[in-house]
Amino acid sequence: MDPAGVFATSFARDQALIRTRQQWIAFTLFILALFVLPYVVGPRLVAISTAMMISAVVVIGLQINTGYAGQVNLGQAAFMGVGAYATGVLATKAGLPFWLSIPLGGGAAAVFGFVFGLSAVRIKGFYLALTTIAAQALFHFLILNLPSSWFGASNGLSLEPATFFGIALATDRSIYYLCLVVAIIMAFGAYGIVRSSHGRAFVAVRDDDVASGMMGINVVRTKATAFLIGAFYAGIGGGLWAYYVRFVAVDQFTLFHSIWFIAMIIVGGMGSVTGALIGVFIITAIREGFVTLGPSLVHQFPALGGDVVFATMNVFLGGIIAAFLIFEPRGLMHRWNIMKRSYRLWPFPY
Amino acid sequence: MIDFLNYLINGALVGLLYALVAMGFIVIYRASKVFNFAQGELVVFGGFIVWWMVLAMGMPLAVGLPLAFVAAAVFGLLIERIFFSRLVGESVFAMVMVTIGLLILIRGLVLVLFGAQVRPFPIIFPLKPVIFGDILIPRSLLFGAILTIIVGLGLSWFFNRTRPGLRMTAVAEDHQVAMSLGISVKRSIAFAWILGALLSTLGAIIYLSGKSLSFLASDIGLAALPVALLAGFESIAGVLLAGLIVGIIQGLVTAYVDPAVGGAVGTVFPFVIMLFILFVRPTGMFGWKTIERV
Repeated sequence: MDPAGVFATSFARDQALIRTRQQWIAFTLFILALFVLPYVVGPRLVAISTAMMISAVVVIGLQINTGYAGQVNLGQAAFMGVGAYATGVLATKAGLPFWLSIPLGGGAAAVFGFVFGLSAVRIKGFYLALTTIAAQALFHFLILNLPSSWFGASNGLSLEPATFFGIALATDRSIYYLCLVVAIIMAFGAYGIVRSSHGRAFVAVRDDDVASGMMGINVVRTKATAFLIGAFYAGIGGGLWAYYVRFVAVDQFTLFHSIWFIAMIIVGGMGSVTGALIGVFIITAIREGFVTLGPSLVHQFPALGGDVVFATMNVFLGGIIAAFLIFEPRGLMHRWNIMKRSYRLWPFPY
Repeated sequence: MIDFLNYLINGALVGLLYALVAMGFIVIYRASKVFNFAQGELVVFGGFIVWWMVLAMGMPLAVGLPLAFVAAAVFGLLIERIFFSRLVGESVFAMVMVTIGLLILIRGLVLVLFGAQVRPFPIIFPLKPVIFGDILIPRSLLFGAILTIIVGLGLSWFFNRTRPGLRMTAVAEDHQVAMSLGISVKRSIAFAWILGALLSTLGAIIYLSGKSLSFLASDIGLAALPVALLAGFESIAGVLLAGLIVGIIQGLVTAYVDPAVGGAVGTVFPFVIMLFILFVRPTGMFGWKTIERV
């Protein structure tokens, strides 16, 4: 709901994402802060932020697919991997510049995701989740067993840095800006998609596919589209990843990475692009916190050994998924909306 | 010819081992309508309990094994108490996602409690293989197969013929309908998880006997998925047949196609079968034909 005194006087205004002057100011400041960030913080935080941008792109795709269209997807990391490999091959073998290879990588991932999304023609619910797990297994198998001259098999694939008008994007700072710009474009694309007729069709199919079919929505096409879009986002994220790490290997895209992505949308809030961004930020921040605190933790409790970081991280991740599903299935975004609403209504209850 | 028979029989026995693990999926599904992605982790947990009881605590097998089963049952009950008793009536999505959370949680728990080292697993079945003529059969798999068939037929009888079993079947059909009929959904789910944990421990004993144990053993949970799917998620006796089919196909593919291709076709082939089933016949061979088609 809007604060008092804000009235939508036209359709465009009613549809606007940013509704008040304060929001405009906050948004501008936020974007500015993101752009000056690499000059303020140290290299480690820049690296973490870059990883967040990349995850954000992937998770927004998952949010559209799972959060909006309700199609459980446990293969988002595999889709990301397809994008990364496609980008890598196009960049190294065909010598394409990054502004061609990343979108094409996204396209390749979209095709791969679409094939598995097609199974939505016949099945739904966790049966669909099973096909995405199969996607994960098949992806690993194909990469590892195809001739190593194609995708590098178990050796992985190394990339040259991206070049932009002759400038090599080899430093952390330059790659951060690349990821930031792409993430902003993709996020706005996602806001656009979920406000469009496609987005409304996704929500309708998620809430009741029989009823939405009655209303004239092509249910199968909507589900397949959701997979297509989700996988495209994953592929773009994968392409960024390929240029960021400049090394693509199959163990960067496992089932566990998919579960991390799902944890992010559960924590952030299903069915909200902003929620996806919040989830990415919080989960990544906590994970990096564990990694940073790890050595001192091991120092404090030497009996636990060096694997304790990985182990506690797993316990934490599993616990947080279960806790959010049990206590707040709609995620932090829902909490935030409740808070915002009561703030705007204060001192009235409703 | 002898080679072929060897591959055939060993494939079939491995398939029955998959069937035992798949039975864990199905039992939990049959009694609570939850698809448990954490089955492989339950197997690992069961394995570690056995290791801890028998090797770390030094109990004799006759004491350690029953205690391990008790501990596994308590663990199953705990899972239900902590997670699933709060989720009765929630969407299937939430429940399935909780099992995915559990997958990671149990893995972390195993690492915290037992460490990441590779442990030796107690030798429960003698290592000497059974030999018929030229055919070598690992003893653990043979006994395991016999146990699997007994347990499978017993559970099938229980779920299809007895009153408590049918009550749970009603829960698998629909939580609300079951509640309105006066069936305790919570008790049914608790029983499902206890049974699932017990079966997983049994699976761990057969799978790991005399081998080494680490948290990577949970891969068997994923390997058993195609078996559960081929059988259909509701059929307990059917899973025996499905296990045989998948195991034999996998054994033969591993033996004859792998050398030709030079890769692990055998390990991924069950997933190809799984995709094929999902596309062609999502109810599996014996599942209830109630899957909502889109």
